[in-house]
Amino acid sequence: MKQSRFLPVFAGLVYAFLHVPLLILCAFSFNSSRFTIWEGFSLEWYRAMFSDSQLAEATWNSLVIALVSTFFATIIGTLCAYGLWKRNSKWLSGSLYLSLVTPEIVTGISLLALFQWIFRYWQVQLGMHTVILAHIAFAIAYVLLVVMARLRTAEPALEDAALDLGATEWQAFRLVTLPILKPGIAAAALLAFTVSFDDYVITSLVAGVDSETLPMVLYAMARRGANPVVSAISTVIFFGFGALILISERMQKNV
Amino acid sequence: MNRLRAIFLAPAAGFTVLLFLVPMSIIVGYSFLTRGVYGGVVSPWTFENYQRLFDPLYGVILWRSLVMSTAATLLCLLIAFPLALFIARAGARRKSVYLYLVILPFWTSFLVRTYAWMFLLRDSGLINSILLSLKVISEPLPLLYNETAVVVGLVYGYLPFAVLPLFSNLDRLDKNLLEAAADLGATPWQTIRRVVLPLCAPGLRAAGVLVFIPCLGAYLTPDLLGGGKSIMIGNLIQNQFTTARDWPFGSAISLALMALVMVLLMALLRRDGEEAL
Amino acid sequence: MNRRAFTIGIAGLAGCAPRHARRLNVFNWSAYVAPETVPNFEKEHDVRVRYSIYESNEEMLARVFSGNSGWDVVFPTHYIVPPMREQGLLAELEHARLPNLKHIEPAFQHPVSDPQLQHAMPYMWNATGILYNKKVTPAPKRWADLWEPHWKGHLTMLDDPAEVIGAALRKLGYSLNSRDPIELRAAQQEAVRQKPLLRAYLNTEVRDQAVAGDVLGAQIWSTTAQQAIDASKDLAFVYPTDGFPLSLDCAVILRESPRQDVAHEFLNYLLEPPVNARIAETMRTATANGAARTLLSVATQQNQTLYPPPEVMARAEWFATVTPEAQRLRDRLWTEIKSA
Repeated sequence: MKQSRFLPVFAGLVYAFLHVPLLILCAFSFNSSRFTIWEGFSLEWYRAMFSDSQLAEATWNSLVIALVSTFFATIIGTLCAYGLWKRNSKWLSGSLYLSLVTPEIVTGISLLALFQWIFRYWQVQLGMHTVILAHIAFAIAYVLLVVMARLRTAEPALEDAALDLGATEWQAFRLVTLPILKPGIAAAALLAFTVSFDDYVITSLVAGVDSETLPMVLYAMARRGANPVVSAISTVIFFGFGALILISERMQKNV
Repeated sequence: MNRLRAIFLAPAAGFTVLLFLVPMSIIVGYSFLTRGVYGGVVSPWTFENYQRLFDPLYGVILWRSLVMSTAATLLCLLIAFPLALFIARAGARRKSVYLYLVILPFWTSFLVRTYAWMFLLRDSGLINSILLSLKVISEPLPLLYNETAVVVGLVYGYLPFAVLPLFSNLDRLDKNLLEAAADLGATPWQTIRRVVLPLCAPGLRAAGVLVFIPCLGAYLTPDLLGGGKSIMIGNLIQNQFTTARDWPFGSAISLALMALVMVLLMALLRRDGEEAL
Repeated sequence: MNRRAFTIGIAGLAGCAPRHARRLNVFNWSAYVAPETVPNFEKEHDVRVRYSIYESNEEMLARVFSGNSGWDVVFPTHYIVPPMREQGLLAELEHARLPNLKHIEPAFQHPVSDPQLQHAMPYMWNATGILYNKKVTPAPKRWADLWEPHWKGHLTMLDDPAEVIGAALRKLGYSLNSRDPIELRAAQQEAVRQKPLLRAYLNTEVRDQAVAGDVLGAQIWSTTAQQAIDASKDLAFVYPTDGFPLSLDCAVILRESPRQDVAHEFLNYLLEPPVNARIAETMRTATANGAARTLLSVATQQNQTLYPPPEVMARAEWFATVTPEAQRLRDRLWTEIKSA
């Protein structure tokens, strides 16, 4: 079939559209002037970024929240996917998929309402724990999605064979299905981590005094106008996650 | 079997009930209550919040959200389809590289990507700086803080959501069908129109819904790129729960939005089944 | 070099927490303390302060309203103090712990919102006016001038219901604190009429944009205006001839706070004349502290933007706390303005 020239050119333009804004941002993060006229190479915005203690604390919070929620969400989500794969539960899978399509703002306000309601009876406050709970809650659905997709390609017959050979259900899960799922679980964990680290809307609503996250700081800075430090942070995030995904893809290939 | 399965499902069920279903019921409850003087909810039960939704003022916001979301979705599909076609046709090794390049911006923070557009579109942003220095224009163009900027931001943010389902659909397409069409004398354009498009209708529908729903509930993009002027439903809801402190009304809007989303989703699922997702 | 600073910083942060047993969480307006104010307090009083900023009363109130927010000290504008008090959000100030209260200027010792200073400590005061770029002709003089078509796209108003509705009310000749539904409705319609001319509703975020020349006119507080004028020679500020609002930002201690003694120490510290004067001088705020005012540089004391002369002040009107029904109506009107 004749290949037209149109498609590659179009694809090239789309990739440019996708990447050029970010690359420009990265390029200008090295600009010595805070305006959009190139005045010279400089690392001063990176220096400013590293010396900002509020930023450091927010990044630390984001990492802690993302790691903890990813850990729990991945386990809970994987087990849930397996359970649903064995036999579906309409209300559970329905609710989980519904939570996926619920707009973030609605999820956020509903959780805020829940926590405010609880706080009337228990002397607790919004804080890291509420953010982590919220993140686990919405990450479970993402993990479910990815692991389910992987499970659909798996053969139930393999587990049946193991059972016939005398394995318990737990052993069948652990020794037969789980190894097959590993790449899916890794992908799900990565997705959960990214979604959690990047979240702004839900976090901003349920965060407390001690739980300012990186997206919250970024948002406040972005609202205040042009800030080259934001460009510096963006560059680090862009290349950081790019590397992370590249590594994970390589790891998946080796499995 | 059932006991193991029950143990496996318990934590997820717990989270779903406590942190999704219960909060949503609270919101349902709030939507029928009245606002306290300076915030909070007080007891007169009322339909007033839902009645207020019919005020033409909010109809405008809903209309605006629908129009912008539709525009963004159509643009996404128009851009994503040829791209997905291109990737599907590529050799196996290149495919994963191309896919990686599509996904990479998606993995970058959404805030960062939105900020990148602020950086480009501001009056003192890059595009205006270049145009000014080339003397194409004498005054900066107001590219930011309007609906077009928001649509561009939405397309930019959700394009990968459109590419991936389309790609997976096109990838599974039987190449023999395309060859057969060519053998029968169809031009590439005719092949696309009469063979490929109908076959990937499910993918198009899935991609459309996957982009439309988040666009409808978008909050960050209209907030940062729209200047707080062209607000969408998401902003209205956030407003009611923070600065306006009118939780009952905010709850009513949220439920109306949820209803809309669910209707769309059911329509898609009924058509294409669960695999569409 | 940067990596070392970063690692040391992180290590320092980790080591920081246990050393200072005393903590304080302060939530304040942006650009309302000098860079050294909080660090000096931390050193002198052995406290670790978590200091966060907000841009509007509504933003602060939304967080604090639940009575369980975790903040100790916040800074509401005076007309928000009575509602907060009625909601039971405020702790009583122990004057015995605040010996520096005597430094407050007599004019601010008995504000209408809290005559005995039982809950709120006057901090800085502000007036709202129009910041504009000098190349705009004709130069704006009244609120009504902000409804002229030539601003198209280069004008901002404050993201504050009291201010926007207030400006519209003054344009129509009504009182800023009007409770009359008819007058308020008319004001809302004026605000909606103005919307197509606006770039955005922004608070202090507009300062950088005005300095950059993106924004040519802004309804803004005198403090922020002075900060902008310091940064750019092209900007000027005017107090509208059709009347303008005054607000007094006060420090309050939240009743939920378990650290009332540390909070009192912080408030007393802010009242110290040298500390207060330093804030007023560097951040260009107008202080309510009489003793501090005498310590300011002559140029600052005579600054007409920050300390307007009596004939200008005659046109001013303090914001008043409105009745609950009027508040409900105003909040609803604000939603309608924002949604239009």
